[in-house]
Amino acid sequence: MIEVMDVHKSFGSIQALRGVSFRAPDGHITGLLGPNGAGKTTTLRILYTVLKPDRGSASVDGYNTLTDAREVQRRIGALPDAHGLYPRLTARENIRYYGRLHGLKESELEQNIDGIMAMLEMKEIAHRRTGGFSHGERLKVAIARALVHAPRNILLDEPTNGLDVMSIRNIRAFIRRLRDEGKTVLFSSHVMQEVSALCDRIVVIGRGQVAASGTAEELREQTGQSNLEDAFVSIIGSDEGLER
Amino acid sequence: MERIRIIFAKEIRDNLRDRRTLSGALIYPLLGPILIALVFTVAGRTVLTQSENPLPLPVVGAEYAPSLIQFLQQNGAQIRPAPADPEAEVRAGNYDAVLIIPETYGKDFTAGRPATVQLVLDDSRQSAAPSIRRARRMLYSYSQQLGSLRLLARGINPGVTSALAVEEMDVATPQSQAARILGMLPYFIIFSVFIGGMYLAIDTTAGERERGSLEPLVINPVGRHELVLGKLGATLVFTLVAVIETLLGFYVMLNTLPAESLGMKISLGLGALLLVFLLTVPMMLLAAALQMIVATLTRSYKEAQTYLGFMPLVPAIPGLFLALAPVKTKAWMMLIPTFGEQLLINQVMRGEAVLSSNVLISAATTITSGIALTIMAILMYGRERILFGRQ
Repeated sequence: MIEVMDVHKSFGSIQALRGVSFRAPDGHITGLLGPNGAGKTTTLRILYTVLKPDRGSASVDGYNTLTDAREVQRRIGALPDAHGLYPRLTARENIRYYGRLHGLKESELEQNIDGIMAMLEMKEIAHRRTGGFSHGERLKVAIARALVHAPRNILLDEPTNGLDVMSIRNIRAFIRRLRDEGKTVLFSSHVMQEVSALCDRIVVIGRGQVAASGTAEELREQTGQSNLEDAFVSIIGSDEGLER
Repeated sequence: MERIRIIFAKEIRDNLRDRRTLSGALIYPLLGPILIALVFTVAGRTVLTQSENPLPLPVVGAEYAPSLIQFLQQNGAQIRPAPADPEAEVRAGNYDAVLIIPETYGKDFTAGRPATVQLVLDDSRQSAAPSIRRARRMLYSYSQQLGSLRLLARGINPGVTSALAVEEMDVATPQSQAARILGMLPYFIIFSVFIGGMYLAIDTTAGERERGSLEPLVINPVGRHELVLGKLGATLVFTLVAVIETLLGFYVMLNTLPAESLGMKISLGLGALLLVFLLTVPMMLLAAALQMIVATLTRSYKEAQTYLGFMPLVPAIPGLFLALAPVKTKAWMMLIPTFGEQLLINQVMRGEAVLSSNVLISAATTITSGIALTIMAILMYGRERILFGRQ
């Protein structure tokens, strides 16, 4: 379970977050929806402990990201916006590195790697160096290494950005599977269709604040609009997130 | 500790697959030994040609001065028939010098007048200088010898013509002459210290950020100190390999090259070698930590490469002064990291006694600076801005 309470964050004079609060419960896919620059990445970075909130707090399974950062790191698997690989290492070596850093011992580690690779259908690329990988292949490795320690909470920053349709379908199926295993999935996107296709709950972020949250049904009711697209536009006040 | 080892092992494995890192650690360190070897072989060959080989000397009009020719031959000259146009040939560099004996030589000689001979030479040509010097010396000594004989024949002591008797005492021992060349070695060793781990230091810091793998890395439950120490350790290993390679290179070269033919005695025993190695160890930590900090502060791999490329030149500046104008080692100099070590390495190579207090001061200063820089690097990695770099 992920909880964000009244989080503020500034970079110099720019206020990136101005009091963001929401919850992402277990066994649900929660979507963080908002136009570019709304504060989605900053929110996720605070949750996965690389940024410290100026005010407010964020917690994962009840552990504070500031005071229990190490425990939070153990409980999350995160795919950041920048997810570079080591091009001279093979896919499997890239994944193994993260597994080891999580303290997995050899037999459990190799078992986990086999499992996650099977789920992401990446057996053929396992022993190739990642230097020549396609965008989709690189993303699979990045997801696999983030989840190799079987975390209960999964944070994905725009995971389907730049993927082809088939890959997007695969990633969506994979995310649903994680949800069905009872995990907490929080993912961000600036594409409304993406969020509506996948999410159980939607948190709409605009200009550093939560503009609305709830199921797609609730959002439609709140805004009095008959379809989600119009609801989104009326919440954000622009149609910025609708291009595709 | 376990995570430091994991990061360390990964960086080593990763960088063993990188050609740039490998060339930094394995090829560049050999530059010094190879350069020194070249200097030695070239210098050695020049000395050999000077002293042992006969001096080819074309002579015009050899038939006018048979006794002079005989004297020249006895002193190592190889009399050759002269070319048609001696001046042009010498100017073209085909001959170092040509001796011209005019027809009037015999007449002047018997009359006791100074008999003119001409030595055609090109004073601007460096490579001809030894031959010219030898030819001149032979002619002067013939002149002097005959002059003395003429004085004796007239009942005069030839000694009265010399008002001064200048004796030169060359205090340069073969060892200290060799040390002039050895003066370059400490710098090459420092160069290795700063080049061996350079590419790894860049790859694991600026490179890591540039390829976007730093942010996902720090999401793992890893302390920033573990991150820095693992990477620093890997840098140190590559530096260590480079330094050992340089030292062994020097050891092999200095002990196999025909240094004796130079009239120099160069001894770099295993004991001295080990001492030199121990003197470099503190510098490795200093170099690795400094490289890590500088590379982390840069915007990109390329920028880091530029800055770190200049870094070995900084300790070279005092080293160059040292080679040109040797200074006497003083205790306060030991307080300057890398400078103290260069002085001490120099002393070891000159075969001088090294003060253990100097070694201790120098090692303590350098290690302290190295640790301070390491702590600085860890603190740097604790800041959130480091992940995203200077924008």
